[in-house]
Amino acid sequence: MNSIEVLSVSKEYAKGFYALRDLTFSVEEGSFVSIVGPFGCGKTTLLNLLSGITEDYCGTIKIKDKSPVEARKTRKIGYVFQSPTLLPWRSVIENVTLPQEISGTEDKGVRAFELLKMVKLDCFTERRPDELSGGMQQLVSIVRSLALDPDVLLLDEPFSCIDEINRSRFHDELLKIHKQTRKTTLLVTHSLTEAVYLSDRVIILTPNPGRLKKIIDIDLIRGSDTLCFSDEFLGYIKKIRMELSNE
Amino acid sequence: MNKTGLVFFKVLIFLALWQAAVMITRVPGYILPSPVAVFSTLVVNIRLILENAFLTFGEAFAGFLIANLISIFLAIFIAFYQKIEDVVMPVAIALKTIPVIALTPILILWFGSGPLSKIIMAMLICFFPALVNVLRGIKSLDKNLLALFRIYQANRVQLIKMLIFPSILPYLFAALKVSSSLAVVGALVGEFIGSNRGLGFLIVSNYYNMNTSFVFAAIMISSIMGISFYYAISFLEKRFVLKSEGMI
Repeated sequence: MNSIEVLSVSKEYAKGFYALRDLTFSVEEGSFVSIVGPFGCGKTTLLNLLSGITEDYCGTIKIKDKSPVEARKTRKIGYVFQSPTLLPWRSVIENVTLPQEISGTEDKGVRAFELLKMVKLDCFTERRPDELSGGMQQLVSIVRSLALDPDVLLLDEPFSCIDEINRSRFHDELLKIHKQTRKTTLLVTHSLTEAVYLSDRVIILTPNPGRLKKIIDIDLIRGSDTLCFSDEFLGYIKKIRMELSNE
Repeated sequence: MNKTGLVFFKVLIFLALWQAAVMITRVPGYILPSPVAVFSTLVVNIRLILENAFLTFGEAFAGFLIANLISIFLAIFIAFYQKIEDVVMPVAIALKTIPVIALTPILILWFGSGPLSKIIMAMLICFFPALVNVLRGIKSLDKNLLALFRIYQANRVQLIKMLIFPSILPYLFAALKVSSSLAVVGALVGEFIGSNRGLGFLIVSNYYNMNTSFVFAAIMISSIMGISFYYAISFLEKRFVLKSEGMI
């Protein structure tokens, strides 16, 4: 069953200026899919359409058989921005409980604590966001997006501000979250390594306007420390890079 | 020597120089009274001065409070209905550009010589800084945070309570600090022209009687009042803003 269905979707900003054109793809329930493409291929526009933030577009989008706006209204979408978007005056746990507070489903922080425990941040619950590193803040932001148990998780380059050395640690944390929650996850990224390392499938878009270029299924056995150096892994990177350069 | 001690020492030096200048130049007391004369007048009339000071402060505080509440409400209202900004801002700018002292006779004519005209004076002075600053605070809200609240289907009350109000606090306190001392000035100016009570009235009436040491004593108390008001706001700012933002 597909959690996300995108059928012939186009988004025109100004007359004749299309950010997305006739885009069609689907994301299977519980899978991890990445979208890669050069600047201007409409990656963030796509996430805005899927999350229901942008409501006017042509074509059909379904999030578990609901329109994105309906899915947003029933709080079935988790969204993680490029920056952590945490409220600086709230503690870590208060930030994670924010969606529950808004929806009126507070449970005295039980779920928030469990989620923070899952990413080993349970000892930072009372800290302020500025006391955490950028990567840890982004992890808090990711677990916050899971607070309401959404149907889909949309990630907009969540690790782009984190240095290469620490990024792999946060990739593993994200994989762990996905393994434990099995949430349908759509990641937008510029990093091919990130896309191949995390995803079951990589969707490649063309720039100006964003059209579907190619879908590549990733079949890797994860868990090995040397995965990133394996011929198989590097082969996928090469394949995607070639697709991107064949504009 | 700590910071407070240093300030106290500087004030003491200033007063000593002032006293010495008056004694050496033998300038008449109605032109420049000595600090000793000012302090003795203050001690003798302390009850009268403080009673009137409380009255002036009450007017200033009421004007300050009402103006800032209206400004916050209006700024948040503008945030939701942006077209109103085109209507409100020209009026606010016009009010700001008119010298308040020029409005005093009209305000007294309209609202009488009682506290109301002084409260309105203080309001007119305090209104603009808070409106402009709070609006600026709202406009500089992180767009992603607004989108986040939209994704979570937050209603307007939740948006104001959980995002807008805490975000605008630094901007609001900056305006409150400016308008706290201005509110006292507004009330004093109102009392100068049409009142039979308050520190402004005491200053003017004693000026007419050439009782300059009394005028100095009243000015000193009004200045202490303005400074205390400013520091009270600063104290609240440190408690609610700086600490929460981890800036100090």
